[in-house]
Amino acid sequence: MGYLTIGCFASLTGSMNYDFLLRLSKAAQRKGHRVSIWFSGNGSSSIKKGQKILKDYSHGEKHLRELISNGVEICVCESCAYARGIMKEDVIEGAKWSAMHWFLSKIYEADRVLLIGGE
Amino acid sequence: MKVAVFVSEYRCNLNPLEYIPAEKLGFILVGNGVYHAVLKENYQDSPILQQKGDFYVLLEDLETRGCETDCINPKVKPVTYDDLVDLIFYEYEKLMWLQ
Repeated sequence: MGYLTIGCFASLTGSMNYDFLLRLSKAAQRKGHRVSIWFSGNGSSSIKKGQKILKDYSHGEKHLRELISNGVEICVCESCAYARGIMKEDVIEGAKWSAMHWFLSKIYEADRVLLIGGE
Repeated sequence: MKVAVFVSEYRCNLNPLEYIPAEKLGFILVGNGVYHAVLKENYQDSPILQQKGDFYVLLEDLETRGCETDCINPKVKPVTYDDLVDLIFYEYEKLMWLQ
Protein backbone atom coordinates (compact mmCIF):
# COMPACT_ATOMS: atom_id res chain seq x y z
CA MET A 1 0.00 0.00 0.00
CA GLY A 2 1.07 3.62 -0.52
CA TYR A 3 1.05 6.96 1.19
CA LEU A 4 -0.85 9.93 -0.23
CA THR A 5 -0.52 13.41 1.24
CA ILE A 6 -2.92 16.12 0.15
CA GLY A 7 -2.59 19.87 0.63
CA CYS A 8 -5.92 21.68 0.55
CA PHE A 9 -5.19 25.33 0.17
CA ALA A 10 -8.22 27.33 -0.76
CA SER A 11 -11.34 25.40 -0.09
CA LEU A 12 -14.21 26.35 2.13
CA THR A 13 -17.17 24.32 3.24
CA GLY A 14 -19.41 24.21 0.20
CA SER A 15 -16.53 24.16 -2.25
CA MET A 16 -16.44 21.35 -4.78
CA ASN A 17 -12.68 21.04 -4.32
CA TYR A 18 -13.23 20.43 -0.62
CA ASP A 19 -15.93 17.81 -1.30
CA PHE A 20 -13.58 16.12 -3.76
CA LEU A 21 -10.81 16.07 -1.13
CA LEU A 22 -13.09 14.39 1.42
CA ARG A 23 -14.25 11.70 -1.01
CA LEU A 24 -10.82 10.97 -2.45
CA SER A 25 -9.32 10.68 1.03
CA LYS A 26 -12.11 8.33 2.10
CA ALA A 27 -11.62 6.13 -0.99
CA ALA A 28 -7.83 5.96 -0.55
CA GLN A 29 -8.12 5.18 3.15
CA ARG A 30 -10.78 2.53 2.49
CA LYS A 31 -8.42 0.85 0.01
CA GLY A 32 -5.78 0.56 2.73
CA HIS A 33 -3.52 3.46 1.79
CA ARG A 34 -2.15 5.90 4.33
CA VAL A 35 -3.48 9.44 3.90
CA SER A 36 -2.65 12.80 5.46
CA ILE A 37 -4.30 16.16 4.80
CA TRP A 38 -2.87 19.64 5.29
CA PHE A 39 -5.26 22.59 5.46
CA SER A 40 -3.99 26.12 4.88
CA GLY A 41 -5.23 29.35 3.36
CA ASN A 42 -9.02 29.43 3.38
CA GLY A 43 -8.94 25.67 3.84
CA SER A 44 -7.87 26.29 7.43
CA SER A 45 -11.44 27.28 8.33
CA SER A 46 -12.64 23.78 7.45
CA ILE A 47 -11.44 22.32 10.74
CA LYS A 48 -13.48 24.60 13.00
CA LYS A 49 -15.75 22.49 15.21
CA GLY A 50 -19.41 23.12 15.85
CA GLN A 51 -20.43 23.09 12.19
CA LYS A 52 -24.22 22.79 12.03
CA ILE A 53 -25.68 20.14 9.72
CA LEU A 54 -28.26 21.82 7.52
CA LYS A 55 -30.44 19.93 5.02
CA ASP A 56 -29.19 20.06 1.40
CA TYR A 57 -26.10 21.97 2.51
CA SER A 58 -22.46 20.90 2.25
CA HIS A 59 -21.00 19.75 5.55
CA GLY A 60 -17.43 18.94 6.40
CA GLU A 61 -17.01 18.30 10.11
CA LYS A 62 -18.72 14.91 10.22
CA HIS A 63 -16.57 13.65 7.33
CA LEU A 64 -13.37 15.01 8.89
CA ARG A 65 -14.17 13.33 12.21
CA GLU A 66 -14.80 10.06 10.36
CA LEU A 67 -11.50 10.35 8.48
CA ILE A 68 -9.63 11.07 11.74
CA SER A 69 -11.24 8.10 13.46
CA ASN A 70 -10.16 5.92 10.52
CA GLY A 71 -6.54 6.95 10.92
CA VAL A 72 -6.22 9.82 8.45
CA GLU A 73 -3.85 12.50 9.79
CA ILE A 74 -5.34 15.98 9.47
CA CYS A 75 -3.38 19.12 10.27
CA VAL A 76 -4.14 22.83 9.99
CA CYS A 77 -1.69 25.68 9.47
CA GLU A 78 -1.63 27.64 12.71
CA SER A 79 -0.73 30.94 11.02
CA CYS A 80 -3.57 30.70 8.52
CA ALA A 81 -5.97 29.74 11.30
CA TYR A 82 -4.91 32.59 13.58
CA ALA A 83 -5.18 34.99 10.65
CA ARG A 84 -8.83 33.94 10.34
CA GLY A 85 -9.58 34.24 14.05
CA ILE A 86 -9.55 30.50 14.60
CA MET A 87 -7.89 29.47 17.85
CA LYS A 88 -6.44 26.11 18.82
CA GLU A 89 -9.39 25.33 21.06
CA ASP A 90 -11.75 25.80 18.10
CA VAL A 91 -10.27 22.86 16.24
CA ILE A 92 -12.03 19.50 15.75
CA GLU A 93 -10.71 16.97 18.29
CA GLY A 94 -7.98 14.82 16.78
CA ALA A 95 -6.91 17.37 14.18
CA LYS A 96 -3.35 18.58 14.54
CA TRP A 97 -2.18 22.20 14.79
CA SER A 98 1.21 22.95 13.29
CA ALA A 99 3.26 24.95 10.81
CA MET A 100 4.45 24.40 7.24
CA HIS A 101 7.28 22.08 8.30
CA TRP A 102 4.62 19.45 9.16
CA PHE A 103 3.42 19.39 5.57
CA LEU A 104 6.95 19.50 4.12
CA SER A 105 7.86 16.41 6.12
CA LYS A 106 4.77 14.66 4.76
CA ILE A 107 5.62 15.68 1.19
CA TYR A 108 9.09 14.23 1.69
CA GLU A 109 7.74 10.99 3.12
CA ALA A 110 4.74 10.36 0.86
CA ASP A 111 4.61 8.32 -2.35
CA ARG A 112 2.12 10.71 -3.93
CA VAL A 113 1.51 14.41 -3.32
CA LEU A 114 -1.56 16.33 -4.46
CA LEU A 115 -2.14 20.05 -3.95
CA ILE A 116 -5.81 21.04 -4.27
CA GLY A 117 -6.62 24.68 -4.39
CA GLY A 118 -8.22 27.56 -6.10
CA GLU A 119 -11.41 29.34 -5.26
CA MET B 1 7.72 10.98 -15.73
CA LYS B 2 4.00 10.14 -15.78
CA VAL B 3 1.82 13.03 -14.66
CA ALA B 4 -1.86 12.97 -13.74
CA VAL B 5 -3.48 16.35 -14.36
CA PHE B 6 -6.64 17.02 -12.36
CA VAL B 7 -8.98 19.41 -14.15
CA SER B 8 -11.67 20.79 -11.85
CA GLU B 9 -12.97 23.76 -13.84
CA TYR B 10 -14.67 24.08 -17.23
CA ARG B 11 -12.59 27.15 -18.08
CA CYS B 12 -8.91 26.58 -17.38
CA ASN B 13 -5.50 27.64 -18.56
CA LEU B 14 -3.50 24.97 -20.42
CA ASN B 15 -0.24 26.98 -20.52
CA PRO B 16 1.33 25.25 -17.51
CA LEU B 17 1.32 22.00 -19.51
CA GLU B 18 4.00 23.42 -21.82
CA TYR B 19 6.45 23.36 -18.93
CA ILE B 20 5.77 19.78 -17.83
CA PRO B 21 8.39 17.37 -19.27
CA ALA B 22 6.07 14.37 -18.99
CA GLU B 23 6.50 11.19 -20.97
CA LYS B 24 2.82 10.48 -20.30
CA LEU B 25 -0.08 12.75 -19.32
CA GLY B 26 -3.37 11.58 -17.87
CA PHE B 27 -6.17 14.13 -17.65
CA ILE B 28 -8.59 13.42 -14.80
CA LEU B 29 -11.79 15.45 -15.13
CA VAL B 30 -13.46 16.17 -11.77
CA GLY B 31 -15.94 18.74 -10.43
CA ASN B 32 -17.03 21.07 -13.21
CA GLY B 33 -14.12 19.72 -15.25
CA VAL B 34 -16.37 16.77 -16.17
CA TYR B 35 -18.13 19.02 -18.70
CA HIS B 36 -15.04 18.72 -20.92
CA ALA B 37 -16.05 15.08 -21.41
CA VAL B 38 -19.61 15.72 -22.55
CA LEU B 39 -19.81 19.18 -24.13
CA LYS B 40 -18.68 20.42 -27.54
CA GLU B 41 -18.17 24.00 -28.67
CA ASN B 42 -18.75 24.78 -32.36
CA TYR B 43 -18.96 21.01 -32.93
CA GLN B 44 -15.38 20.69 -31.62
CA ASP B 45 -14.08 18.63 -28.71
CA SER B 46 -12.90 20.60 -25.71
CA PRO B 47 -9.31 21.90 -26.10
CA ILE B 48 -8.36 19.57 -23.26
CA LEU B 49 -9.41 16.51 -25.26
CA GLN B 50 -7.24 17.73 -28.12
CA GLN B 51 -4.13 17.34 -25.95
CA LYS B 52 -1.94 14.24 -26.20
CA GLY B 53 -2.71 11.87 -23.32
CA ASP B 54 -5.25 9.61 -21.66
CA PHE B 55 -8.56 10.98 -20.41
CA TYR B 56 -10.67 9.97 -17.45
CA VAL B 57 -13.90 11.42 -16.03
CA LEU B 58 -15.15 10.99 -12.47
CA LEU B 59 -18.49 9.19 -12.72
CA GLU B 60 -19.86 10.51 -9.42
CA ASP B 61 -19.30 14.12 -10.49
CA LEU B 62 -20.82 13.43 -13.90
CA GLU B 63 -23.96 11.82 -12.53
CA THR B 64 -24.54 14.55 -9.93
CA ARG B 65 -24.69 16.94 -12.88
CA GLY B 66 -27.33 14.87 -14.68
CA CYS B 67 -25.02 13.77 -17.49
CA GLU B 68 -25.58 10.28 -18.91
CA THR B 69 -22.63 7.96 -19.46
CA ASP B 70 -23.63 7.41 -23.09
CA CYS B 71 -22.88 11.05 -23.89
CA ILE B 72 -19.25 10.78 -22.72
CA ASN B 73 -16.74 11.50 -25.48
CA PRO B 74 -15.31 8.13 -26.65
CA LYS B 75 -11.77 9.36 -25.86
CA VAL B 76 -12.68 9.58 -22.17
CA LYS B 77 -12.85 6.66 -19.77
CA PRO B 78 -15.34 6.90 -16.87
CA VAL B 79 -13.82 6.11 -13.45
CA THR B 80 -15.01 5.93 -9.85
CA TYR B 81 -13.20 7.25 -6.77
CA ASP B 82 -11.80 3.77 -6.18
CA ASP B 83 -10.44 3.65 -9.74
CA LEU B 84 -9.02 7.12 -9.16
CA VAL B 85 -7.03 5.91 -6.15
CA ASP B 86 -5.54 3.14 -8.29
CA LEU B 87 -4.62 5.61 -11.04
CA ILE B 88 -2.89 7.79 -8.46
CA PHE B 89 -0.83 5.00 -6.96
CA TYR B 90 -0.23 2.59 -9.83
CA GLU B 91 -0.54 4.48 -13.12
CA TYR B 92 0.96 7.94 -12.49
CA GLU B 93 3.85 9.29 -10.44
CA LYS B 94 3.21 13.01 -10.11
CA LEU B 95 -0.11 14.76 -9.53
CA MET B 96 -1.03 18.23 -10.75
CA TRP B 97 -4.12 20.37 -10.07
CA LEU B 98 -4.94 22.58 -13.06
CA GLN B 99 -6.86 25.76 -12.29
